[in-house]
Order: sequence, then C-alpha cells, then structure tokens
Amino acid sequence: MLARVAAEFYWLGRYVERIEHTARLLRFQLDRLADRPADELTLGWQAVYRILGQPPVGKTASGDDAETVVMPDAYTLAGGLVEERANPDSLLSCWEHGRENGQRVRAQLPLPVWTCLNQGYLWIRDRDFSAAWSEAPAALVNEAIDRLRLFAGVVDAAMPRDEAWRFLELGRFIERVQHQAVLLASWIEFSREEHAANALSWADLLRVCGAYEVYCRRHSTNVDRTEALNLLTRDPELPRSLRFSVHRIEELLTGIDPVGARYPLAPPHRMALRLTAAVEMGNNGGSDETDAGGFFRSLEDESRSLHHLTMAAYVTYSPPQGLAK
Amino acid sequence: MSQRRASEGGVFGDYDLDPSYYDEMFGTDGSARQACRRLNAALAELAPEDLTRLQEGVYRHFLHEGITFTVLDAERVTEQIIPIDCVPRVLTAAEWEHIERGLKQRLTALNLFLKDVYHDGRCLRDKIVPIDLVLGCPQYRMEMRGLKVPHDVYVAVCGTDIVRTNDGFAVLEDNLRVPSGVSYMLACRNAIKDAFPRLYRAHRVREVADYAERLYSTLASLRPSLQDPQVAILTPGIHNSAYYEHAFLAGEMGIHLVEGQDLVLRDGALHMRTTAGLRRIDVLYRRIDDDYLDPVMFRGESVLGAAGLFHAYRTGNLVLANAPGTGVADDKSLYSYVPAIIRYFLGEEPILANVETHLCREPGGLAYTLEHLEELVVKEVGGAGGYGMLVGPHASAEERATYAERVRADPANFISQPVLALSRAPCFVGGAIEPRHVDLRPFVLQGRDEQHVVPGGLCRVALRRGSLVVNSSQGGGCKDLWILED
Repeated sequence: MLARVAAEFYWLGRYVERIEHTARLLRFQLDRLADRPADELTLGWQAVYRILGQPPVGKTASGDDAETVVMPDAYTLAGGLVEERANPDSLLSCWEHGRENGQRVRAQLPLPVWTCLNQGYLWIRDRDFSAAWSEAPAALVNEAIDRLRLFAGVVDAAMPRDEAWRFLELGRFIERVQHQAVLLASWIEFSREEHAANALSWADLLRVCGAYEVYCRRHSTNVDRTEALNLLTRDPELPRSLRFSVHRIEELLTGIDPVGARYPLAPPHRMALRLTAAVEMGNNGGSDETDAGGFFRSLEDESRSLHHLTMAAYVTYSPPQGLAK
Repeated sequence: MSQRRASEGGVFGDYDLDPSYYDEMFGTDGSARQACRRLNAALAELAPEDLTRLQEGVYRHFLHEGITFTVLDAERVTEQIIPIDCVPRVLTAAEWEHIERGLKQRLTALNLFLKDVYHDGRCLRDKIVPIDLVLGCPQYRMEMRGLKVPHDVYVAVCGTDIVRTNDGFAVLEDNLRVPSGVSYMLACRNAIKDAFPRLYRAHRVREVADYAERLYSTLASLRPSLQDPQVAILTPGIHNSAYYEHAFLAGEMGIHLVEGQDLVLRDGALHMRTTAGLRRIDVLYRRIDDDYLDPVMFRGESVLGAAGLFHAYRTGNLVLANAPGTGVADDKSLYSYVPAIIRYFLGEEPILANVETHLCREPGGLAYTLEHLEELVVKEVGGAGGYGMLVGPHASAEERATYAERVRADPANFISQPVLALSRAPCFVGGAIEPRHVDLRPFVLQGRDEQHVVPGGLCRVALRRGSLVVNSSQGGGCKDLWILED
C-alpha cells in the first residue's frame, strides 16, 4: 500500500474517533442542561473544554461579583465544539478533514464506506444549527454519534481486513488511547477540586465512556472510584478501556508489519508493548491517588510517541531505507 | 424561422422544433425518428412530476456518492455536481459504425503524424503541415525528438469532440493529452439504467461497463515484456477538477493512484513509496499536463510530478500514457490539417469531416476573421473549457472590438470557425422537456495491437436555453448516450 494512502487511512480513523469523543462529552453536558443548577453546568462546560484541550471558557466577574464566573450561553459553547470552522477540533472541522482523507483514498475505499462518510459530512455541513440548538440540542449530538456508529458498522461489513483497514483501526485506537488517558487524568484532577468533585461524579465518567451499565451489572449502582478506574483502565472487554485499546494496537501493528513484531522489535511495536505493560501494571490511582494523574498523562505522552514512531516507520521513512527492505 | 411543435401535451408540451438545427429525437415532420419512437412514447406517458422525481433521484445519487468536479477560483475550491439530464440521447448502430470508423482512422493517422514529427519529419518536408506550425507549437517537446515510444503508441487514450449539424457529423476537437469525462459517462449510464430499467433493456443498448477493464488491458499491453506490469495513475490531487475520475478509474482497475509526493527515482526507474518500501512502476497513466511531469525537464517549480520521471521514460524503464508532446497534434491550429494528415499517412479520405476553420496566423485567415467577427467563434489555439473564446453573434460591439485587438496583437494564437448549428436533443429542464444543444465525446483506446472505441461517450448538453457552450464549468451538463445494437 502507498505510504501516503496508509497515512490517509490512519488519519481518517483518528478523525472519526475524535468526533466520537467530542460528541460523547457534549452529549453528557447537553443532557444535563435541563435539570442541573447553573454552577454545575458552568463546571461541566469548563471540564469539557479542558478535557478537549480547548482554551478555557468563562471569566471571573469584577467588582462585587468577583466570585461569579461569567459564561457564554450554552449554545454558544456547544456551537464552538460542533459547528465552529475556526476550531480545528470541532465536529464539523473533523468531519471535513476525515472526509478529505476519505476522498484522497477513494480508489481504495469501498463505495458504501465512502458514501456513508460523505453523507455524514453533508449532513453536518448542511445542518441548520440555530434550529437544532433551539429545538433539540442533544438530538443533534445523538445523531452525530449514530452516524459514526453507522460508519463503524459499514466499515466492519464492507472493508476487507487488509492493510487499509488496519491503518484505519490503528488511527482510531491510538486516538482513543490519547483521549481516554487525558479524560481519566482530568477526571482525577477534578476529583481533587472541591466544587468539581461534587459536579462531576465517577458515575458521570462511566456514562461519558458508555460504561455505566456494564459497571452496574458487574458491581452496583453505587460507583466506587477504584472499581471505576480499574474498569476503564484494565478491563479486557470494554471497548473504551485502555487495555482493550492497547491490545488492539498491538494486534494491528503485528498485522501491518509481522517482521517488526519479531525480535529485535521494530520501534512502533516496542512502544506498543511498553504501553501495554504500563496499562496492565502501572498505578492507575485506584488505591493511591498521589501520582495517578501523572500516570495517565505519561500514557498520553507514550501514545503520542507511538504515533510518531508509526509515521516514521511506514510513512515518512527516507527512500534508501525503503529500497533496502 | 418556422417552428413546429413536436407533440402535444404531457412533458413534450412545449417542445418546439427549429429546422435550423438537427433534432436528435424528432424528424423535420415532427414525428419521432425510428430509433427514438419507443423512448418518445415512454416519456410521453410520464407526468412532469415523474421525471422530476427521477431527476432528483439521480441528483441525490451523485451527491451521496460524491460524483463531482472541482472548480477552483481565486478565493476557494468548490465541488460541484455535474448536472445530469435524465433523457437519453439515442444513436443507431449505423450512425455509430460511421463514427467508430472515423475515430479509428483519425487516431491511427494522428499517431503516425506524432511519430513522424518526432523522427523523420516527412510530412513537414513534404509541406503537408507547415514546419513552423509544428516546431513553433508550445506543445511540441524537443525532448521527445528521436525518442522511441513503445509500439509507436503516442496516444493511448483519446477523447474526440464530435458535433452534428444538418450536414452530418463533424469533429470539433481532438483531445490527445489527458482527455477526461469517461467516469461521468459511466456514472450517467448507471444512474439512467436505474431510472429506466425496462426501457433500457428494451432498447438493447451497447454496454460501456467494461471500460476500466479495457483501459487496463490497453495500458498493460504497452509493456508486453512484463507478465504483470505495475500500472498506476498519476493525479495532481484532490483539488484537480477531474480528481473524481482519477480515483474512480484507479478503483475500477485496482491500481494505485499516485501523486508526485509518492514517487521516487531509483536505479533509473520510477518507484512509489509504499508502507513496505519502494515499489517499481512500469506503466504510468498520467493525468497531469506535460509541463508538470518532471521538474528537471519541464517546469522547475512543479511538485505534481517527480524529478527524474522523464529520465525513466527516456531509458525505457517506464511507459507513459499518453506520451509527452502529444499536444502538438491536438493544437487548434493543427486541427485544420488533420484531413490532409489522414490523406498523407493513410492514403484515405477522412471519414469524419472537420469544421471549417480559419487560421489567423495566415494573412487570409486573419483578414476573414476580422471582417466576419460578428458571425464567427474565435478561439485561442491553446484554450480549453470554453474559456477565452469569443462567440461573435452573442458578443457586444465593444467586446468584439476588444477581442479584435487581441487577435491583431498575436494572430498566431487564434483561429476562427463559423457558429455551428449544433444539433439539439430533448432535455428535461424546469418541469418540461425542451430542446437543448448537445455534443459528444467518444473515447478511443489504442493498445499495442488493438484499437477500441467505447460504444458510448460523454454527451454534453448546453442547459441554458439557446446556449452553445456545453462545458460543465460553464453551465453545461451531460446525458446518457445510447448506442443501439441494431
């Protein structure tokens, strides 16, 4: 497969995952708009923006109201993450980038996959956002998530398990590890902040990750921090757990480069193994919260390194090295 | 001009016949031509709403599948859907047989001409074509002089624009560099087949679906020494107006769609960067102009091609389709010499006529053009896409005066032709079927031993009432072309 094409598939996977992550966080916050007090909503928006690496929102009022945080209205805040073209991580921008990746590999992309991606983009591009915000804001985000699930289903049904598929999946799971690591690190940080701890519970974290029902079935509706973090870090079956993701990354890299999976390991394979070991054995803060945030931040750094090593090994290598292979 | 209505009521209610133009569906007496009767009857039974629904279905299909062309202007890049008219145009087997023979003859002669002008130059010495016209043409590539082209196939893929007037078919233009439009022909066929499945079956229309297979065989045949040559398409990228077509053809043929950034020259051969290292390319179907192929040989600032690509070609390590320098044979000035070229190289009379053309590079042609500007279409010899031309009867006196200045300043850059009475075909526009001007671009493949004319083509339509400009970039659309089996 062409190196550039592999990179396009990889980035397509990353953008799709990024959209889903943003949409899940937004859905969590938009669902709360109807019945949560204003200060909780403020904290919620600040958390969502912080987790997504966006510039902080809200500013402290001056004078007698020095303790009041002045926030833009909810739909402006949601709009910044959904429809804002100037924000490269907004749903619209990510869909546009993902579609462009898809367009660049149209020759390799099965028609149903391309059509689904294109229709998703046309849906969000032609959306009347002001109407959506005034009528049913959560429905917009829910539909985005449904469309991503449809896309994932079509990919599953229509794409052969070849190199293209592996790069697409690799992009998704590397992106997922990065986002999950940041999400968990941020939530641990919120749990240490008095106001935020009350507004953002561990049950909320599980809901954002689509793991609340699984947790309840295995444990109880009383969510315990240790169990929640263990589920999201080390569960081998939960699709959004870190362990599940790093194992998928290992498998995908082995499929892409079986030789690199044998000793001496190729750099991406080595980094993937290191990530797996860290996830399986590292201190995720379940029992000791002192360096838990740092643990997840280091996972985020290592997943970024994995990205660079993957690109260097299969996409941006220098030609003489390529000839020698 | 007397005008008669072709039929009363239904979707044809406002269809006016004008005898100045050949009508593709109706004879001069207003009745449907033999080959079109079944189609005419079927359409007449439809209500405008039915056709609107079909047309909207076709539009949605194109939108969702992203069957688009890209328009670049100074400010932004936009993707547009080529408007598809859902009423097919029909040609009989006999009409097609005439066109097919004419196209084969023309391409054979033009390939021989190209070989000659890059080797012996017999036709230049014998004054069949003026030597300065050839050597002075910007598309003539000195780099190709004396270079042996595999199997003498300079043009492997050709798209020829054909028009019909009351006098019959005529060639308007040959496209011998990177002709485009074949993917729209195929997309259009699929859409119309879905819209009218029974009607399509009843007409026994010749199939075009094997185009990609035939194109692949044609390209692979140019490298017969290899059992399984690595064939790739070179595209300028997603912002090129024909990108959809490049991706479509690569997908259909199961070959790589490469960009300049994917290419590397190693050991005198062209390679592409894959995830597992470099892989050699044997045949490159390039969809970029000569100028951008190789920054070492042509335009130095080009990033669309690859440094050293021409070296690989020159040393026989790479086959290019089409060969560099073929543009000299589709230059608008040279066009008027094609009948003479056919006679000279093949010893035959041209089967397809040319359109009367006046070369402004010749004093007589310049004088005639300037005197009759009001009646003529004046074109730049290197122009394309309907840009930069003057349609005399539609231009204001001021526009004509300005254009005349340009012609006087650089006469060799212009040719003129009479305004052609392009044939008209029924089109569904604004809720009713009305006549619109059409042309036709059939595609010819020239392999090592075989020529194949695709039994169909891109039928372009000037959708604006009265307009003669069929280019998609200027409000044109397209329609399916049905070549009947018998």
